[in-house]
Amino acid sequence: MLYPLLMTSASGEGGIRCLLVRAGEYLCALPLNQVRRVVATLTTHPLPGAAPELLGLAEFAGEALPVLDLACLVNAPAGAASGQPVTVVVWAGPPAERELVGLAADEALAIVELPLHALTETRLGLVSGEALQAGRPVRVLNLEHLGAT
Amino acid sequence: MSEEHVRERTSPAWGFAILAVTVVVGFVTVLAASAGTARQWLATAFLAAGAVAVLAYLAFAYLPERRARQRAERVSQQVAGWERELVAGLVELQAGDLVKAPEQVRHLPERLAGAFSAATRALGGLIQQIQSSSTDVAAAGNAVHATASELASGSSEQAAAVVQITATMEELARTAAQIAGNAASQADLAAHAEQTGETGVAAVEEALGGLEEVQKRISAIAARADTLGTRSKEIYRVLDLITEIAQETHILSLNAAIEAAAAGEHGRRFGVVADEVRRLAQRSQESVDSVRNLLEEFSSSIRATVVATEEGGKEASRGLERARAAANAIDALRSALADTARTAKETSLATEQQRTASDQVVLTAKEVSQVIQRMAEGLKHFSGTAERLNQLALSIQLLTQSFRIDAARSLKHLCEHWATELGGRGGQWEMAESQLAELVARHPFVEMAFLADAHGVMAAFSVNREWTGGRSAGSVTVGMNMHDRPWYQTVMREGRPILTPLYDSLLTGDRCFSVAAPIRDPSGAHLGVLGFDVNARSWTKI
Repeated sequence: MLYPLLMTSASGEGGIRCLLVRAGEYLCALPLNQVRRVVATLTTHPLPGAAPELLGLAEFAGEALPVLDLACLVNAPAGAASGQPVTVVVWAGPPAERELVGLAADEALAIVELPLHALTETRLGLVSGEALQAGRPVRVLNLEHLGAT
Repeated sequence: MSEEHVRERTSPAWGFAILAVTVVVGFVTVLAASAGTARQWLATAFLAAGAVAVLAYLAFAYLPERRARQRAERVSQQVAGWERELVAGLVELQAGDLVKAPEQVRHLPERLAGAFSAATRALGGLIQQIQSSSTDVAAAGNAVHATASELASGSSEQAAAVVQITATMEELARTAAQIAGNAASQADLAAHAEQTGETGVAAVEEALGGLEEVQKRISAIAARADTLGTRSKEIYRVLDLITEIAQETHILSLNAAIEAAAAGEHGRRFGVVADEVRRLAQRSQESVDSVRNLLEEFSSSIRATVVATEEGGKEASRGLERARAAANAIDALRSALADTARTAKETSLATEQQRTASDQVVLTAKEVSQVIQRMAEGLKHFSGTAERLNQLALSIQLLTQSFRIDAARSLKHLCEHWATELGGRGGQWEMAESQLAELVARHPFVEMAFLADAHGVMAAFSVNREWTGGRSAGSVTVGMNMHDRPWYQTVMREGRPILTPLYDSLLTGDRCFSVAAPIRDPSGAHLGVLGFDVNARSWTKI
């Protein structure tokens, strides 16, 4: 089961609905069923000694929310600074242990549906596959794996 | 005539008176005797009276008459001698020898001889005075001739100068006319330029007004552009607000889509709405971006407009300053052109007056030229008259020199003097040349002195080299035969100094005359003839 969420896509046409965000120069597709909310960039409070991809903790719905740097997670080169930076609140980790995590992206673009036949499995990890969207490569993220790491 | 002679001439009258009384008494007695009234004593008385009458006649008439006749014969003889002496003196006078003439009458009665000598001296004095006067006349004539020649030459030069002046003045008049024409044209041009300058000043003033209006308009545009810039900032703020709203809407639509997706089948419609909202937000964002781009272009245009208006304002200010400077320059130029026009008019007027004055000068110069030409002709005539006066003076001098007077300036006397000196040599002419040289040296008017012996052969001569320019006597040589020369013949025939008429000298080519005198030894024997030639150009040095 590489794509358990894909099988339960809303379209029912063998596709996966994702939130397309831009992190640096990369386009990343976040499975829509794992996305909790998109908000404007939250103010983070850095944690001493934290990993580089952990920007810090932010306040979301009255609770502390760890915020990770998506571009750092996918090793994306720095891109254009245009657009509205957002923090995408997602469910990370396995379904049984999932928790809310904030991903700092440069821009939340759109809700897209990626056809399954267009997906190619790349490796096991955060980026589970790639697809072409409007001629540009889109990295499909496996957020369950994010919780594991 | 003495009183004695008068008394002797009256004696015959007394004799005739006695004879007449006797005859009358005798006639009366005869008449008385025939009438018978006469008596014897009357006859006796008559006879006695007759005897007395005879005696008286002899005593008072005959004898005095005889003595008188004898005295008359002696007087007649004396008068004849005086007459001969007088004639001889007059002959010498006729020959012009006022030196010998008194010698010829030295035996005349003292009063007659004195009167003759006085007359001769007076004549000599008159001749000397005439000589001196002729010399003075000749000197004056020469001076007049020289002055007239100099004046004639000067007049010719003056005439040439006047002609040149006339030509120059005519050229000056032509130039003045040309200058006047040019000045008039310049005045017209300057006046036209002044009018153009006035028009230019008006145009520049109008341009100044236009530039000021442009500057005002530019300032207004700049103000409006500034206002637009302010408004653009407000629009940017509005756009930022719209962008923010669009982004919020976009995020909101995304969250709605997320919620719709989470709602599953029930959220499909909501998902559609969310997608439409997202699209709307996207179009809003695109519109905002488009408006922002347009606003960027508009702002750029406004900024460019502001910059352009600022530059335009600055340029308008500079143009305004330049236009004001141009207006000032044109005004100054107009003033200068007005001055130029006035000056050109004055120049034209002055040159016109100058041309008129030049014409008058030309006319005057022509009149002066004519006067000078007439004066030159008069001076030439005057010079000719002076020359004739000089010739006349020379003729008078020659006439006076035809007399021999006891004076240093008498050439005949001079020649006679030197002839007497040479006569002392007794016919030995070896050293005569030095004496002739002395004669020439002492008398600079002498061209050449010469001596011919009793046979008419040239025995010696001496040449004044100042007259010949250092040349010798040329064809004259010692031994030449002078026997046939008129002067020699005349001197030999008359035996007295002579003066020749004027002739052309073979030595110098000048007019000259010769003076010659016989040379005699102390006994009166004829030894030869001395002569010298006098150059007519230096006769006033005599």
